[in-house]
Amino acid sequence: MKTGEKIKILYIDDEQNNLNGFKATFRFDYTVYIASNTTLAYDFLRDHNDISVVLCDQRMPDKTGVQFFEEMRKLYPDPVRMLITGYTDIESVIDSVNRGHIFRYIKKPWTDHDVRSAIEEANKFYLTNSMLVEKNKELQSAYDELGKFAYSITHDVRGPLVSVIGALELAKEMDDINELRELLGMMAEAVRKIDEYIKNTHEYYKLKRGALQFTAIDFNRLMGDIGAIFRVVAVNDDITFSWQVDQGGLFYSDEISIKMILNNLLSNAFNFQKKSETNKVVDVKISMNDNLAEIEVHDNGIGIHEDYINNIFTMFYRATSEDTGSGLGLYNVKDALNKLGGKIEVASKLNEGTTFKVTIPGNLHGTK
Amino acid sequence: MREQRLKSLYPAIYMVPNKKLNFVVIDDSKLDCFIAEKIIRNTGKCESIRSFLQAHDALDHIAANPVDDQSHTILLVDIQMPIMNGFEFVEAFEKLPLEITSNYTVYIISSSINEADLNKVHNYRSVKQFLNKPLTSNNLSVLLG
Repeated sequence: MKTGEKIKILYIDDEQNNLNGFKATFRFDYTVYIASNTTLAYDFLRDHNDISVVLCDQRMPDKTGVQFFEEMRKLYPDPVRMLITGYTDIESVIDSVNRGHIFRYIKKPWTDHDVRSAIEEANKFYLTNSMLVEKNKELQSAYDELGKFAYSITHDVRGPLVSVIGALELAKEMDDINELRELLGMMAEAVRKIDEYIKNTHEYYKLKRGALQFTAIDFNRLMGDIGAIFRVVAVNDDITFSWQVDQGGLFYSDEISIKMILNNLLSNAFNFQKKSETNKVVDVKISMNDNLAEIEVHDNGIGIHEDYINNIFTMFYRATSEDTGSGLGLYNVKDALNKLGGKIEVASKLNEGTTFKVTIPGNLHGTK
Repeated sequence: MREQRLKSLYPAIYMVPNKKLNFVVIDDSKLDCFIAEKIIRNTGKCESIRSFLQAHDALDHIAANPVDDQSHTILLVDIQMPIMNGFEFVEAFEKLPLEITSNYTVYIISSSINEADLNKVHNYRSVKQFLNKPLTSNNLSVLLG
């Protein structure tokens, strides 16, 4: 139930007069569905999964209210169940309450006040339960990710670490200085991988825990800062690197997220280059119009095999055996975009290159 | 000089008569392949050695290469690799004809300390043993002796 929306209730009674009276009394405060038998009641429950309270008369021709609730609980466990009954049925009601089928019972004849307060109570109970279910889902997903992390640490951190230990042992026995240098280069690479993993983990944490801070984004400045860092790599690896920015007005968004997205996409574009390519290219296009930013990062690198392209945003998935990547980068990108309400598309061809296209809707104003 | 020192250190390696040993290393880490190659060469027991960064390339190589009765090949397979991991490799390897697979001895070599991984190794009849990374001259010589 969204805030401000009316509580949705369903009332079942075989006497049409009762139904009409009930609806007339409560329709201003609640969204009231009425059903004259349990078959109709099930239709409502099936079609409206946000009904939070169900009231049912005990004495009906086809079955008792208690029987209906016992059944209903198995099929639709979420709505809170309340029985309306006279004193004569009290034994079966007590039994039913004790067995947990019914949240509360309302005495017949009921007063508006009794029903109203019972519905409010029941709705609170419903909301608390729904929130618990939601929180449990979040917890479960946090635990699942923790499990993935624990496993990935044993591989992605221990892996390179153990390699370095092995290499150190080997180096003790080596005499050839050129061979040693080669080995040292690979060891440095392994240590850098661990560092990258730790940095990505930090980014992951910042994203998960941090609140978004909306400020006016100057894409020219932002791209200038990030571009300066990658320009060094471009010169070193002989890659033609260019970018163009076309910003048509103010754009509010979370700068940390956008930086992270650009950094990751650029890292990938630079890392997954073809070694044989003589004209390596990375280019970035950023445009912002009608409060929608588009970022395109293109490279003519190794590309992504079509069989793996659907998995690239999965945590700890690596679509290539090229010896780089923590398996967290694109996951973080996707996660940040989910938070910003943006999306990402990828077009790629093996051995020809990859283009990532990100669209981000701007926030209407900055964070106060 | 070095050769002789090794011979005196690891005599067991030199005792298998007339049977040449080939090695295939499957590992997505270039450094680990490098280490394995060095250590294997240092045993002096090695006729040939090939490293594969991708398991499916190794599988193609094994399936395509004619079998030579005079030689035997030791396979060292890493577990965690992208695209085709070590276990998937072993499953595919076990489906190859017996006249090919019988010329290989498979060792799983990993930095994994995950119990599920370690236990899983026992499920594969073709896998002789699990080895911890890093590969060292010592544990390689135990395996060959």
